[in-house]
Formats: sequence, C-alpha cells, structure tokens
Amino acid sequence: MPLDHKRLNGPEESVPYELFLRHKQETVEIKTLDEVTKDSDISREHPKIYLKTGTVSQAKGSAYIEIGETKIIVTVFDPKEIPNKQDYSLKGEISCEFKYAPFSCTKRRLHQQDNEEKRNSLIMKKALESAVCLHEIPNFQVAIHSLVLQNDGSALSGAIIAAGVALAEAGVPMFDIITSMTLEICRSNEIDSLRKMTGQIQVAGEKSHYGTIIISKLHANEQICQVHQTGFIPGDQLKNYITVLSKSCDSIAAIVKKCLLKEVVNHIK
Amino acid sequence: MPLSEAEKTFILHGVDENFRQDGRDREAYRPMELETGTVQHAFGSAHLRLANTDVLVAVKLEIDAPFPETPHEGKLEFFVDCSANATPDFEGRGGEDLAVELANTLASAYQSRQAFDLRKMCILKGKKCWKLYVDILILECGGNLFDATSLAIKAALHNTQIPKIKAVNIDGDNIEIEVSDSVSDCEKINIENAPVLVTLCKIGQHCIVDPSLSEEQCTVGSMVVAATKNCVSTISLLGSGSLHQDTLFQFLDFGCKIANRLNEALMETLANISVTNENVGFLK
Amino acid sequence: MAEEFKSLHPLKYYRDYYSHDIRPDGREFTDFRPVIVNVDSIKTANGSAVVKIGRTTVICGVKAELCKPKPDLPRQGFLLPNLELPALCSSKFKSGPPSHEAQALTQLIADIIENSKCINLEDLCILTDKLAWVLYADLICLDYDGSLVDACMIALISCLKSVKLPEIDYDPALDIKQVNIENMRPLKVHFTPVATTFAVFDDKIILADPVIEEENLCTGVLTIVVSGDELCCVHKPGGSPLSEEELMDCIEKSKKRAKSIKKLIDKAVREENK
Repeated sequence: MPLDHKRLNGPEESVPYELFLRHKQETVEIKTLDEVTKDSDISREHPKIYLKTGTVSQAKGSAYIEIGETKIIVTVFDPKEIPNKQDYSLKGEISCEFKYAPFSCTKRRLHQQDNEEKRNSLIMKKALESAVCLHEIPNFQVAIHSLVLQNDGSALSGAIIAAGVALAEAGVPMFDIITSMTLEICRSNEIDSLRKMTGQIQVAGEKSHYGTIIISKLHANEQICQVHQTGFIPGDQLKNYITVLSKSCDSIAAIVKKCLLKEVVNHIK
Repeated sequence: MPLSEAEKTFILHGVDENFRQDGRDREAYRPMELETGTVQHAFGSAHLRLANTDVLVAVKLEIDAPFPETPHEGKLEFFVDCSANATPDFEGRGGEDLAVELANTLASAYQSRQAFDLRKMCILKGKKCWKLYVDILILECGGNLFDATSLAIKAALHNTQIPKIKAVNIDGDNIEIEVSDSVSDCEKINIENAPVLVTLCKIGQHCIVDPSLSEEQCTVGSMVVAATKNCVSTISLLGSGSLHQDTLFQFLDFGCKIANRLNEALMETLANISVTNENVGFLK
Repeated sequence: MAEEFKSLHPLKYYRDYYSHDIRPDGREFTDFRPVIVNVDSIKTANGSAVVKIGRTTVICGVKAELCKPKPDLPRQGFLLPNLELPALCSSKFKSGPPSHEAQALTQLIADIIENSKCINLEDLCILTDKLAWVLYADLICLDYDGSLVDACMIALISCLKSVKLPEIDYDPALDIKQVNIENMRPLKVHFTPVATTFAVFDDKIILADPVIEEENLCTGVLTIVVSGDELCCVHKPGGSPLSEEELMDCIEKSKKRAKSIKKLIDKAVREENK
C-alpha cells in the first residue's frame, strides 16, 4: 500500500494482539428461529435502541443512535448543487458516506474507505433514495455522512435509521419513516470469537447455513425498500427470516416516531 | 431510446399473456453462446455471449499470504472493467458505478464457504495461499449483465487449472514452493455450488427473466438473486424503488427456480465442452 | 430578527455585543465554556474519551497493536495521534484525504505530545529491537464549534489515561507471542498538558475559548499549552500582534484553567476505574 503522506505514519506493519489470545472468548447465547418467532411479542427481539436528534450543532440535521452497543452518528447538510454536472436534472440526488471510525471494530480500520464501507454506502444510498422525495429537490444534492463510533453489529441498519431521522430534522421532504434491521445467522456450534456481536437479532441456523440479512422498510405502505443478504441460506428459510425482520422493523418504527415527536415538541417550545 | 406509453402498454400486455416481444415466455432466456479457454495466458477463461451482451472472463493465479484473520483460506478478488465500447453510457467514468455494484454483488455471492470454498486455496496455513483474480471485461452491453457475468465466471472457474504443489520447503522465514513441472499436472476447482445470478424484473403482475433493453424500461422493480441448489447466497435490489413483502417472496421463489434450471444447463454444457474439446476461435 | 442581522452583518453583530462587554452566548470575555469528559465509552478501543467544550465535540480512541520497533530507536514504541476533520462535523470540510487544516493540527498535537514527554515511549517497548506496542490514537471531530485544539488535547490525554494494555509473554527464540487478557495494565501518563485557545478581536479584545464564528471573524488566534506550572507550547500563527503583558496575562489564565481541567480529567478517569 502506498504511504499516506497526509497522516502520521508508524511502523510499516503491525498486528492486532487479539490474534495471540491465550484463552478463547466465551460465546454468546443465540436463539433458534423457532424461539424468536414463538415469542409473540416480537418487539422484544431487537436489541435496545436509543435515538436522539440534533447532536451536531454545525449540521442542518443530525442524529445519534445506539443499537445494543453499536454507536453511530449521522449528519445531513443543506442541499448543494450537484457537483460536476452540466445539464439540469429534474430529480435531486443524495450522496451517502458510511465510515467506521478506526477504533470502532475489534480490528483496526484504515482511514480510507474500504470495500465494505463502499458497499454499505451504496446500500444506504439505495435505501434512502426511496424514502426521500427526490423530485422536490431538483438539481440539488443532499449529503449524508455517517460515522460508526463503535460496532457491535447492525451498524448499517443503525446508520439507515439515524439517517432517516436526521433527514427529517433537516427538513428534507420525505415519503415515509424508514427503518432497518439486520439478522445474523450463526452456525449453531461454532462462532468466530472475533465477530462476536450482540447488537442484532441472532438466530442459530443449521450447521452449514449462515449469513447476514439486512432489510429496510417504509411503513405507510409496508414497502421493503432495500434488502441485502449474504451467506448460503435455503430459500424457504430465507422467507421466514425476512418475515421476522419485517416485524421487528415495525416495532422500531414506533421508536422513530417517538423520537421525531420529541423533536417537534422541542422545536415548538 | 425512451419508449412511448403505447409501446410500454404493448410490452406489458405481452408479458401478461406470457408471450413477450421476441416470442419468448416469461421464464425463457435469449440464446447463449459459451466458449472456454479463449485467453491463452490466463489460468482459466470463458467468453459468453447472451444476445447482444458480451462478457469475457479471465482467471489469474498468484501466490500470496492469507489474511491474518483467516489463515486457512485463500483469496478471491473480482475486478470488473466496463469497456467504453460496450455502450455509449460507459464513456468516460460512466461505467464505474455499475462496475463497482457488479463486483460487490459477485463478492458477496461468493463470500460463503458453502458457495465457494476458499479453504481449498490454502497452501500453507497462515503463510501461503493462492489468490484468484477474476477479471471481467464487458465487451458489449445488451442488458442483463449480472446473469451473463455470473455464468461466464462459473465457466471460467471450471476451466481454471491450478498447478499442483509438489513440495514446500521451510527454512526459517523463507518458504519455497515447488510447483509441478508438467503443465498437465493440474487441479480443477470445485464449482458445483458456485452461485448463478438471476436478474428478475417485475412488469405488471408478473416476473420475467432476462429482460431486453426495452423491457428494462417498463419494469417497476428489479432484483438480483444469486442461488444454487435452492440455497440463496445473495439477494440485492437493483436501482431505487421499493416493493411489498409478497412481491419479494414471489421474486425469491421465481429466482431460485430459474437459477436451478440455469445451473443445470450450464453444468451440462461445461461437461460437454470438456469432452469434445474442439477448437473454436474467438467470436467464431 | 437577531438571526437575520447576524447572518447579514456578522461583524457588526459581534461588535455590538462586545461594546457592552458581553458575548452573544452570555459569557464574559474571559469566561470558558463548560467542559464534559466521558471516558471509556467505546468498548472496542483500548481506551477512549469523548470531550465536549460547549458544543465542540471530539472523540478519541486508542487501538493498540504489536509491531517491530524501528532499527534506529530499538527501545521505543509508537504513539500516533491523527486528527480527522470529517465532512460530518462541519459543512466546511469535504470527505476525502485530510485537509491542510487537519494535517497542520495533527502535527501540532503530535509535537505537543512529544515535547511535553507525557508518555515515555520506552514504556511501550516489550522487548528491545523485537516487539513493541504501537498506539494508534485517532481523534475525530464530531462537532466543530471552535477551540478545537483544547478539546483534542483533553480528549487525547483522558484517552491515554484510560488505556489498558494486556500482558504479553514473548519468546524471541521461537517467535511465540501469548497475550494474557486477564492481566491488563494501565498506561503511565506522566504529565497532563492542557491547551487553551484565545481569539483576538479587532486587535484589542481578547476572547477566551472562542466559538467557531468568533474564530472566523477574529484577527488572530493564540493557543497556549501548559503542563502543570510549566509553559509547554505557544502557538500563534500570525494575526494581530500582542503586547508582552497581554501574552503573560493569557498564560496566567491558561495555567489557572489547566489546573481545573487536570482535576476534571483525573476525576473522570478515576470514576471509570472504580
């Protein structure tokens, strides 16, 4: 990798000490899908969420979210003219930046956006595009920046929820409330200790099937506006998982509504 | 070229009647042509033509050190190059977004160990492994890039010959790898579970596969499903827009079914190719 | 009405306030904004701190990794403070490589840390010429509302004080490292350098702890770093000239503030370690 002359550089090579641990870390308790769905009150199945608007004074709109131990800050700035564009476009644009802070994960992240961050930026952009009334901001671009301060799972979902709230605070016209949730399917007997996450719904799958599913949802018309899945999951099971996620999104919508209501009340005062 | 309302209605009614513009039914693909081993200096290659879509895939191998987190696994990297010849939209940096999206989707489709086992690519735990570079060159774009690319990749991987390792000498920090001298002494890659990508479009009340460019303009939503043997390894919505959960499930079922069929056809073709092994030139 | 006036004639707006010996946020010229320190809130880092001065927010996280020391300094580890001014914290910044401002401030902070000798880099060495710690201290500004260096220094020092490193058993003959995670030891921080920023408005009024608008409108900025009773660094990049008395006065004020800040940091770290 070329040397980054704009930052302070240390040794050429360094390794995380976690690789040489003497004791393996304990595993987390994971429910099977049956246990998750049997529980009639699905709202308890997503990790605890704390959501607050107006955290960054310099931005037009901003939000801070905690999902389990995951902490994310998102800001939205005033619409600007779309850079490097000659002709007039009838629809506006949104640009999303998804970034992990270098210290946010078990393994240190680099300063430049890596492939995962770029992919997440793209998923976030696609999800939010269906929630924002792009025709109301012709020829303008709204920039959304998100920074994960601590990652404990569901970082992308958290960023999408917080971005929705931040956009609302910034006064960007939107169709609907947007929520999102991540589901992690673990192999029932073997979990990578480095990827121990508690901030998302976790279910135990069959030994050979595991992966991640993320959906985001618009609530007024029950529309799923983004779905992304990795892993190796039988089609029928995948449908069950999506149903669970969809239900848990519904319960998050209530939290988002409450947060927005608080924001409005504060604003009137 | 944008379509008029009347043209769109015509396409929509056609889909409704299960008789599309070019005479296909909703589940049918356009004819495909496949060649393997077209690039001499690559370890494996394939060239696929689906109607007007033309994709060339080459696989290259290098010896590399595995990631410290996954010492047992080799590496796999996808690189997509959208040639400016493919479509006028790709001129300048126009194809970049699509290339990134395609590479991302492929990377997540091949991420799972069940889909593609990178552990087979390990030479010496934590020290040496094979790194597979999959270079995808899009020569012409006639719609449905995802499907064509995934089929070409699978064929190219099938065609890939990994040299056999004869001996590994460890001397302190130095590791020497001895590769078998004979060119024919090679191993094949197991691609049985490698996913096939299927792009699905919803037109009216129905899903179709392999949309032509004009059909793409009539879609209300489209999705990519990567699947093999009824197991889904990636789903991802294309473009902006949203859909109802029921539609999503409809897509999923349909996608799995088509992927299975496509996979069987491809495997059969690949088996035939390796048997006949007749020399067919590039672009025939 | 006041808002419109402020955006149309910002300079006059501030001058009007200052002519009545008060600042728009209700502070007097020499008043500081309240400071909040929160230590160890990021569990994935080896040490972390969030600092708020008024609305200015800076987060600092330290990740420790293992490396080989440099051949010319075989007995030393590394401490690398990098300041990031992301597009997130203010509309002034764009995403991409660090701006000139971020680079300049990073260098300033690194110099302060090095000169004040608050960390002995030899403490970070595990085995001479073989193995050492490298501490990546990443400072990220979350809300850019003036006096950034002050917030960065408090965040960095509080963060370093909260860093805990595991014990390492290293066998150089076989190159086997074993990490004992149950035995975590805190890092020794020998001094507490505290930065205080002043802004000079219209060549005569000296404002302590300026907000971003004041920094943008003023004619000069001055940052003084003191460690205990000793002057550590004075950073005055051009701007209005200051008389000796004015400078001495600022230094006195900084010393006084440094004491209270040090108390605050120590208390925050102690509470967390309980």
